[in-house]
Amino acid sequence: MNPTTDRRKMARKPLLPRPLLYAIELALFGFIAYNSLYIRKLSDIKAAGTAAAGAFQAPQYARSFWTSKLLPAAPGMATDLGTLLISLKTDKDKAFAAHSHAMGIGNIRYFLIKGEGTVTATSDNDVTVTLPTGEPIHLATEFVFGNAARDASGLINITEFDNTTDLNNVSAELNDIIRKQVIPGLKASAKPGTKLSFIGALELNQAHLHTNDLTVIPIRTAL
Amino acid sequence: MPLTLQPYRPALVKFQSLIALFVLCLGISLLSDKFLTGANFWNVMRQISVNVCISTGMTLVVLTAGIDLSVGSVLALSGAITAGLLRNGIQLPDANLYIGFTVLGAMLAGITTGSALGWFNGWAITRFRLPPFVATLAMLTIARGLTMLWTEGFPITGLGESFTYLGTGWFLGIPVPVWLSVIIVAVAVLVTNKTRLGRYIYAIGGSESAARLSGVNVERIKIIVYTIAGALAAVGGLLVTSRLDSAQPNAGTSYELDSIAAVVIGGTSLSGGRGSILGTVQGAVIIGVLNNGLVLLNVSPFWQQVVKGFVILLAVIIDKSNSKSE
Repeated sequence: MNPTTDRRKMARKPLLPRPLLYAIELALFGFIAYNSLYIRKLSDIKAAGTAAAGAFQAPQYARSFWTSKLLPAAPGMATDLGTLLISLKTDKDKAFAAHSHAMGIGNIRYFLIKGEGTVTATSDNDVTVTLPTGEPIHLATEFVFGNAARDASGLINITEFDNTTDLNNVSAELNDIIRKQVIPGLKASAKPGTKLSFIGALELNQAHLHTNDLTVIPIRTAL
Repeated sequence: MPLTLQPYRPALVKFQSLIALFVLCLGISLLSDKFLTGANFWNVMRQISVNVCISTGMTLVVLTAGIDLSVGSVLALSGAITAGLLRNGIQLPDANLYIGFTVLGAMLAGITTGSALGWFNGWAITRFRLPPFVATLAMLTIARGLTMLWTEGFPITGLGESFTYLGTGWFLGIPVPVWLSVIIVAVAVLVTNKTRLGRYIYAIGGSESAARLSGVNVERIKIIVYTIAGALAAVGGLLVTSRLDSAQPNAGTSYELDSIAAVVIGGTSLSGGRGSILGTVQGAVIIGVLNNGLVLLNVSPFWQQVVKGFVILLAVIIDKSNSKSE
């Protein structure tokens, strides 16, 4: 027998018999798989309302905020738009301090406002309402985005959130609710000449204030 | 007798990264009193950990005379896969089944994803003889697109404390990411210095044809190296995702440049066959300290990029100069 070949054969001999090696590998794989996955009924998970225990659920939070806090409180909290416009023109800083809210620092601040007027025009993007003072404002029906709906009331406290992403997700969900629950009704009923009352969220820049052609995110509208 | 540095040249070349790091630390500490503080030290170490993970894999690739431009995108996809599975699991409405993932399962899935993408890089490079630059550039785009598809362009958040411990936790007074990167570096040093795979990697980078003639299965080694690079990019992705408690669709953008910079500054030759893992660690620390110093000194982010670019350029020029003198 060739001694070199013999040595190689010896060197390649596994430490454990192959079946035992496979059994160990299988057991290890099974152990990892058992500790990696779990299987549940999807209906149970959905019923529990959470797919990941402990995780923040923006849709649930937004729905609860919308129905339990914002809608009930809005009529009492909202500032009359006509009055606000006069205040902004006479003492801007005082008006911002008294009526606006914002979570972050900066010049962008939000107002929860209410008003009524006559629908004077409708388009794909908005419904134009002319206030009794003669000033036109636009109720957005297409581009509903940003943090106005979340921040305008000042009812959400930033300390409730672990991170800014959760906070931003709440804005996105609230805007989604507005798109689905408020806009369709507004678009269907708003015809030129009809009288309309509304509650909405308004974004204004304190440093560069423009009060012409205001666009309001509608929260509640009624004919 | 005139004073000359010539006798000290070998030592200067050998320790050039450490000397550069020392000068950098000295300069920043003189300009900012916040630099030499415990909190800032651990902050820098935590930030560096991600780049160390990616750069370790990149070093192996560069040692074979290759390059991997896809690590940033692979990092993002792996992090997103991990976060997505952890947060939402896999839902099979037709079968009314929900397959949930534990932290271990989601992390394994993320690392498997990175490894698979790395394997694909290696396979494409060896099977179709594509230049690594082109193949991994394609993967950069593919992985980024897949990340956008998986996340639908939105961050995946709320991953739970047991997962965020990986990126934010402490163990024995040292941040967990630092432990992880130390372990990865130790294993990589062992592999490159003490194993057959390590010798083959250097041999392929030195001369691919000579390695092939010597019986080295060049294609197999390259695929292994790119797979490791993908896996380590995925580990970097887990760290980033865990630290932020959020998988961002645009995570890891331009990380490949920081990684290549760390490798080059650490003395690894872009033409392969020469360099070390420990050199790369020094390079990553230099990049990390430079980033931190520029922030502490209130340098504009735009100027930061300019400065980093010049540092990389300088490192390559010094590397070329050393190669010529050798």
